[in-house]
Amino acid sequence: MGTPSAGQIHRLGRDQLASWVDALLGERKRVFAPVLRRGLRVLRAVERAQDVDFAPGRTRWSPKEFLFPRTETLFSYENRDGVPVLADPPADDVPRILFGVQPCDAAGLVRLDSILLQDPFYARRRELTTVVAIACSEAAPECFCTAVGGSPAGQEGVDVLLAPLETGWVVRALSPKGEALLAPRRGGWETAAAGDWEAALEQAGRVAGSIGRRELPAAWAEKLEQSFADPIWDELARRCVGCSICAYVCPSCSCFDVADEGSDACGSRCRTWDSCSFRLFTQHGSGHNPRATQPARSRQRVLHKFAFYPLQHGGRAMCVGCGRCIRSCPVGMDIHAEVVEVMSGRPEKEAGDVQR
Amino acid sequence: MSSAETAAGPARAAAGTAGPLESPLKPRLMRIVEAWDETPDVRSLRLQPVDDGPPVRWLPGQFGEFSVFGAGEAVFTMANSPSRGEFVECGFRALGKVTWALRDLAVGQVIGYRGPYGNSFPVDSWRGKDLVFIGGGIGTVALRAPLQWVLDHRGDFGEIVVLNGARSVADLCYQKEMPAWAEVPGVHVVRTVDPGGETPGWDGEVGLLPAVFERLGLAPGGRIVVTCGPPVMLHYLFQSLEKLKFPPEDVVTTLENKMKCGLGLCGRCNVGRLFVCVDGPVFTWARMQTLPRDY
Repeated sequence: MGTPSAGQIHRLGRDQLASWVDALLGERKRVFAPVLRRGLRVLRAVERAQDVDFAPGRTRWSPKEFLFPRTETLFSYENRDGVPVLADPPADDVPRILFGVQPCDAAGLVRLDSILLQDPFYARRRELTTVVAIACSEAAPECFCTAVGGSPAGQEGVDVLLAPLETGWVVRALSPKGEALLAPRRGGWETAAAGDWEAALEQAGRVAGSIGRRELPAAWAEKLEQSFADPIWDELARRCVGCSICAYVCPSCSCFDVADEGSDACGSRCRTWDSCSFRLFTQHGSGHNPRATQPARSRQRVLHKFAFYPLQHGGRAMCVGCGRCIRSCPVGMDIHAEVVEVMSGRPEKEAGDVQR
Repeated sequence: MSSAETAAGPARAAAGTAGPLESPLKPRLMRIVEAWDETPDVRSLRLQPVDDGPPVRWLPGQFGEFSVFGAGEAVFTMANSPSRGEFVECGFRALGKVTWALRDLAVGQVIGYRGPYGNSFPVDSWRGKDLVFIGGGIGTVALRAPLQWVLDHRGDFGEIVVLNGARSVADLCYQKEMPAWAEVPGVHVVRTVDPGGETPGWDGEVGLLPAVFERLGLAPGGRIVVTCGPPVMLHYLFQSLEKLKFPPEDVVTTLENKMKCGLGLCGRCNVGRLFVCVDGPVFTWARMQTLPRDY
């Protein structure tokens, strides 16, 4: 065992990974990790390492809810003798770790950052959060991270990357936050053998190679923007039922509603996830709706992610290719195939026909 | 603590180090000091901060989020000019949950305000020019701030025409104020109602607003058109302006997309690459023509 130093890559046995999680919990850090709950693989705050499911595969929901909660109180109010008294929500300063998320989900947080870091509630949680991602050892049929600049071993937004080896794990810090997380452990951990990291990357390369979906180049954004009035959108989105599950499972969708919960006597003003697929998202009080039809709303979701956002954010799509929207869509809509079809004018063969 | 985190296990309870945060969406408390009906369903409020903090500041055309606690927030443009800024005024039509709740409030009651948000009317670039304000229905509320600004800096501007229209005489906003506007030298006020909306004794114009505008025979020639109204009115007004060869750069309007946060975060006022709440709400007709038709 060499002298522990920053930047070092380590190799961990299966038990060591578990004891690391337990040690983090012992330090009163909040650990969100994949668990199996009633047949679903979901991220939850765990109480012990043995509850964590380290198997490959996406979780049902993205980790965004731990930084951008589904519903969150912005302030509460109470009417005292006719004058409302407002109170800020209590501070929550517990350091937290997103443990075992996929690299695409970590990249999704970087997309959220570009919008929500302006919000102090999000910014504080983000500051308190360290992201430990696991490189993917398999890709699902809906996965397309490689089509939008990601990778099964992607490093964007990742503080510590874990990658599976034949036996055990290789672990590497990729940011100062990641270094800080690993520093107290280094003394007890074995240094990775020469070639361990490369072997892990090679494995990720094989996973990338198994993703059959074509690249969606950033250069498409302008042409997509010009497709706004193209009747193809009516054709493509005719199936959409407007349920918005795509936005709810999305790691990068950041739209929200602001509404009051309570009465005029007391209550709170809340921010809640919302979706551009809903009719009421844009409907005016007068009844006028700029996006009066479901295809118009569906088009907004695709164009915002692949045209409007990238044109304002250095070419990066507001999509990390996690495939959750495709997996969850009740009518088989496929955002990757939609983009390809708009650009090529031809249906993609996998459109709505993903093997599950 | 957020709902997503209440399930947290043993990690809860480490003492806070940085203290509570304040949301940028938290409003300032404002007391209603005056309230009056403009029409059967349009009401105006005059507001003053409850606290002794600095006065509310804004530019003509900027908007605020006004809220009734328990009902929620609604977006209104500030209806008065900052040159008359000892109070904040807003005008709204009772249409939804928030506006109905707001309508039910009385003088002395307290509401929430946050703002100002968005860009503003380019009043400085109008110096020395003739101006036409064309407001349809509740749209006239959005024109009142720049109009008051111009009236308060009368010498800086040329001839002013105000065309104020509504469906019916009862629906015409600012009937009490219009005579005072018309008394200012070089200001010509035209009132109009849609055909069938006139009453016996109505002495204004009758006709759809774009048609009445055409009848006024105003030539472009550097004249600035400032307009706000329902989408269908703007649609036909733009046709008239095109026919009369008004340059799109000289026509200014506001987009009224639904908004929630006012900060460019919540996503709903997105039009192409822009967010109406930060890049608007004031747009020239020329700029509107570069946007996807999503407003």
